[in-house]
Amino acid sequence: MAIAKAERLMNLALCLMNTRRPLSKRELRASVEAYREITSEEAFNRMFERDKDDLRELGLVIETVDAIDGETGYVARRDRNRLPEIALDAEEAAALSLAAKVWQQARLAAAASGALQKLRAAGVPFGESGYETAEGHRGYPHGMGAVIEPRIPAHEPAFEPLMLAARDRRPVSFDYRKSNAVRPEPRSVEPWALECWRGHWYLAGWDRDREARRVFRLSRITGRIRSRGGQFTVEVPDHVDVRQTVASWAGEGATATARIRLRRGAGYPLRARAVETMPAPGEWAAEWDELEIPYGHGLDAWLVEFGPDVVVLAPAELRDDVVDRLRAVARG
Amino acid sequence: MSNAIDQTRRMLSLVTYLKERPGARVSDVARAFGVTEAELIGDLNVLPMCGTSFRGGDLLDIDTDGERIWWHNDAALGEAAQPLRLAADEATALLVAARAVATLPGLRDSDRQALLRAYAKLEAAAGEAAGASARLSVTFESEGSVFADVDRAIAERRRLWIRYYSPARDELTEREVDPIRLFAVGHTYFEAWCRLSEDRRMFRLDRVAEIKLLDAPADPPRLEPRDLSAGLVQPAGDDPEVVVEVGPGGRWVAEYYPHDSAEELPDGGLRITLRTPDPGSLRRLALRLGRDGRIVSPTALADSARAAARQALAAYGEE
Repeated sequence: MAIAKAERLMNLALCLMNTRRPLSKRELRASVEAYREITSEEAFNRMFERDKDDLRELGLVIETVDAIDGETGYVARRDRNRLPEIALDAEEAAALSLAAKVWQQARLAAAASGALQKLRAAGVPFGESGYETAEGHRGYPHGMGAVIEPRIPAHEPAFEPLMLAARDRRPVSFDYRKSNAVRPEPRSVEPWALECWRGHWYLAGWDRDREARRVFRLSRITGRIRSRGGQFTVEVPDHVDVRQTVASWAGEGATATARIRLRRGAGYPLRARAVETMPAPGEWAAEWDELEIPYGHGLDAWLVEFGPDVVVLAPAELRDDVVDRLRAVARG
Repeated sequence: MSNAIDQTRRMLSLVTYLKERPGARVSDVARAFGVTEAELIGDLNVLPMCGTSFRGGDLLDIDTDGERIWWHNDAALGEAAQPLRLAADEATALLVAARAVATLPGLRDSDRQALLRAYAKLEAAAGEAAGASARLSVTFESEGSVFADVDRAIAERRRLWIRYYSPARDELTEREVDPIRLFAVGHTYFEAWCRLSEDRRMFRLDRVAEIKLLDAPADPPRLEPRDLSAGLVQPAGDDPEVVVEVGPGGRWVAEYYPHDSAEELPDGGLRITLRTPDPGSLRRLALRLGRDGRIVSPTALADSARAAARQALAAYGEE
C-alpha cells in the first residue's frame, strides 16, 4: 500500500526541521521512505515540489541554499519557524477561540482551527469556552449573558481562488456578468482585497482593461478564476474601501430627496427612512400620508414594489421611471 | 477534517503538545484538538512512522494504550517539538474573525476588550504572516437598541412583544415571541418561538419596528438545533412552486432567492423555479422586476401583479 500523504509530509517536515545543515534533494529522497519507493525521477521531482508547497502553506519557512557542491540544499531553520512567545490569559483565549468559529468557508475554518492547535501546543490556555445556547451551540456571551453566534458565509466558488490571488499578489482573469448585462465579459484584474458586507462578498481591484479601480460582486463571477503570469502593475492602496462603493450602489448616501404619497399603514421601511412625514392634504388626508425620502440609486424599483400604496409626487423624473416600470408589469 | 493537509497540520502541533504532557489522556487530547478519539488514534498510528531516518533512524516513539499517550524518546527530534509559527492563512483566519466579531454591537464590553487584547498579541506573534489579513474584511451589522432588548430577554428567559415588518405582505404585525438565540450572517437575526404562528421563526433585527420586554417567562418548546450553514431560508419540499422568467437585468433574482433550478435562456436571461410557503409574497418581486421579468406560474400570482400595477397607474391618470 502506498504511504499516506500526511505521513510523507510529516517526514519531510521533520527532516527539514531537524537538520543543522541544508539537505540536498538526494539526501531527502534517501531519508523519506515514501520518496524511496518512487522509481521515476520525474515523478519524485513533481511530488517533492508539491510537498514543499504544501508545507509552506502550513506555515513552514523552507529556505533554499546553494550548497558548495553545486546541489541546492533545503532547510527549515529553527529560529525562523518558531512561534514567538504569546501569553494570552484565559479570557483572551476564550474570546479568540470563539471568534475562530465564525468561518463557514472550509479553507478558513480549517486554518482557524489549525491556528488554535498551534497556539494550544504553545501553551495558550484554551479551556471549554463560551456559553451554551438553548440549542447546544456555543457562542459569545453577551450583555446579561445571552449568546450571539456570528457566522461568516462564503459560498461563492470564486472566494478561495481570489483570496489566494490577493494574498500572493497574482493577477487574475475571470468572466463577470454585470447586473444588467446580457452575457458575461472577460475581465483582467489585479485583486487587492475582499470584503463581506451584508452577507455578500465583494472584490476590489485594478481593472487592467478599464485602467481603473473596480469593485466586483463575487456571485456575479461566472466560471473559473484564471491565474495570469506576471506581477501587479499598479501599487496596492493601503486602505481599500469596498463598503463605500457598495453602499452607493445600494442607494445609500443619497443627498437628493423625493416626495411620495403613501397609504397609511403601508410601507414601514419607507417611513423608517423618511426625512419628513405628514398627513396628505385635502381629500387624501383620511387615508394617506405624504413623505419626503432620500432619493438614491434604485429608489424607482423599490417604490414599485409597493404597488398602489405609493404615488410619486416629485421629482418628475422619478415619477416617469416608476410609471414606466408599472406599465411594463401591467402589460405582463 | 481529515484531509492530508489538515492531518499534517494537526500532527505537527500534536508533537509539540504531547512532548509537554507525558501521559496525556486520549480523551483530553482529542477534545483539545477538536477531533474524535478515533481520529486521534489514527494520528498516533502514523506518528511512530515519522522521523528523520537519514540520521540513522530517529523515529518518534509515541505510543498509547488507548487511554493515555506516552512519548519515550522526546530528547530526539527536539527541534520538531518547538511551537511552530502561524501560516499566512492561519493568521488571516483568526485576525479577520477577531476584527469582525469585535465590531458586533452589543458584545459585552469585557469580551470586546479581551478580544482586542488577544488580537494585538496574536498580530505581534504572527509577524509577517499577519500581513495577508489586510486583504480580507467582514462587517456585521445590527440594530443596537433592539439588540440589547433581545439579548436581555434571552439572558433572563423572558417573553418579548414585537411589532415586526413583513416585507412579503408589507405589513406590521404584533406578536409575542420566546427568543432562543441571536446570530449574525450579514444581517443580525434572532430565532424565536412565535406564539402567533406557533412555529419557530427568524426575525431580522432591522425589521423590528418596536419591541417590549414582557414579565412573562419565555417558554419555547424543546427544538432540534438547526444547522444554518445551508442558508437561512430552507423551503420545505411541499411548498408551492413558482416559476419566474427574467431577462439579463433580472438575473439578480437567482442571487437573492434560494431556488431549485435556474435554466439559462437564449436571451441571456434565466428561468427560475423556486418554492415558497406563500406565493402571494412574491407579488413584490413581480412588481419590482418590471420589464426585466415576469411570473410564469402560478397564474393567480401573475394576475395579481398585473392588477396591482394597473391600479397603481390609475393614480397617475392612466388606465
